[in-house]
Amino acid sequence: MMPLVQWLGHTPIAQGIHNSAWLFPFIEIFHLLALALLGGTIIMLDLRFFGLGMTDKDLPDLARDVQPWLRLSLAVMLASGFLLFMSEAVKMYTNQAFQFKMLFLALALLFTFAVHPRFTRPGATPSLSGKAVALVSMALWACVGLGGRAIGFV
Amino acid sequence: MNAVAGFMEWLANTPMSVEIRESLWGYPIIETIHVLGLCLFLGFTMMLDLRLLGVAMKKTPASEVCGRLEPWMVGGFVVMILSGALLFYGDPAKFYGSIFMRIKFCSLILAGLNVLIFKLGTYRKVKDWDLSDVTPAGAKVAAGLSLALWFCIVAAGRAIAYFLPPS
Repeated sequence: MMPLVQWLGHTPIAQGIHNSAWLFPFIEIFHLLALALLGGTIIMLDLRFFGLGMTDKDLPDLARDVQPWLRLSLAVMLASGFLLFMSEAVKMYTNQAFQFKMLFLALALLFTFAVHPRFTRPGATPSLSGKAVALVSMALWACVGLGGRAIGFV
Repeated sequence: MNAVAGFMEWLANTPMSVEIRESLWGYPIIETIHVLGLCLFLGFTMMLDLRLLGVAMKKTPASEVCGRLEPWMVGGFVVMILSGALLFYGDPAKFYGSIFMRIKFCSLILAGLNVLIFKLGTYRKVKDWDLSDVTPAGAKVAAGLSLALWFCIVAAGRAIAYFLPPS
């Protein structure tokens, strides 16, 4: 893995971001805006499991409505995050907070696309297991956020 | 030194400000709360703006999206303001001198005025366009302005940390 990480860090794009005073924070703006939208859609959907927030809509309806925005924000998140990673590839790769973040990102993605949809299928109603799923979903994504915030401090 | 700058200096020397500034965990914890609050507040604001632009949750009445999300947005906003105030309080003299802090603050006031104007204007007749395919121009302008101003607020917020004036 390390040779690949080193190669990524030496690509012209990575070097360009690394050597610029403002490109890194500029990309972070989009990372943060996408974070808000991603977090917003996930919280909105997960609150609905508890009968909170958008309660006039059925769970499957709400899930369908927020899906395109969840995917769009996730795409912006991953693209901007990858650019940020590239610019400090070797440093990030060995950063423990970054490793923690990637672990939870993998878990959160798996959960969001493999487990979560089973509880928002047409006909699904809020249930006890649904509430557990919502809590796990919010906790996994919160860990991704915590890990991200910690990168700059460890 | 003017009166405000003098006040900021005094604020910076209060025990709690020193505590936040010098503690190992103070800043990271408050910043994490600020970012988690951002998800709730700005995430919901963006979804509401997208609804007002007529591109998201089109089958749900605009008044319903607004009404249901509002309590959560208010809660998220309180978290943002409190955590933001604490971050500022941790190093008031420095942040007061940051041009980006001032840009952020002005944009926040404009964003607030934008909501006020929308609520007193276009939103009063929301029942007329609650479920129509196209939202009125007033709603689109308010939503577009809101998204643009929040872009400025996030951008300025990020810039504060990277381009602090020398102390």
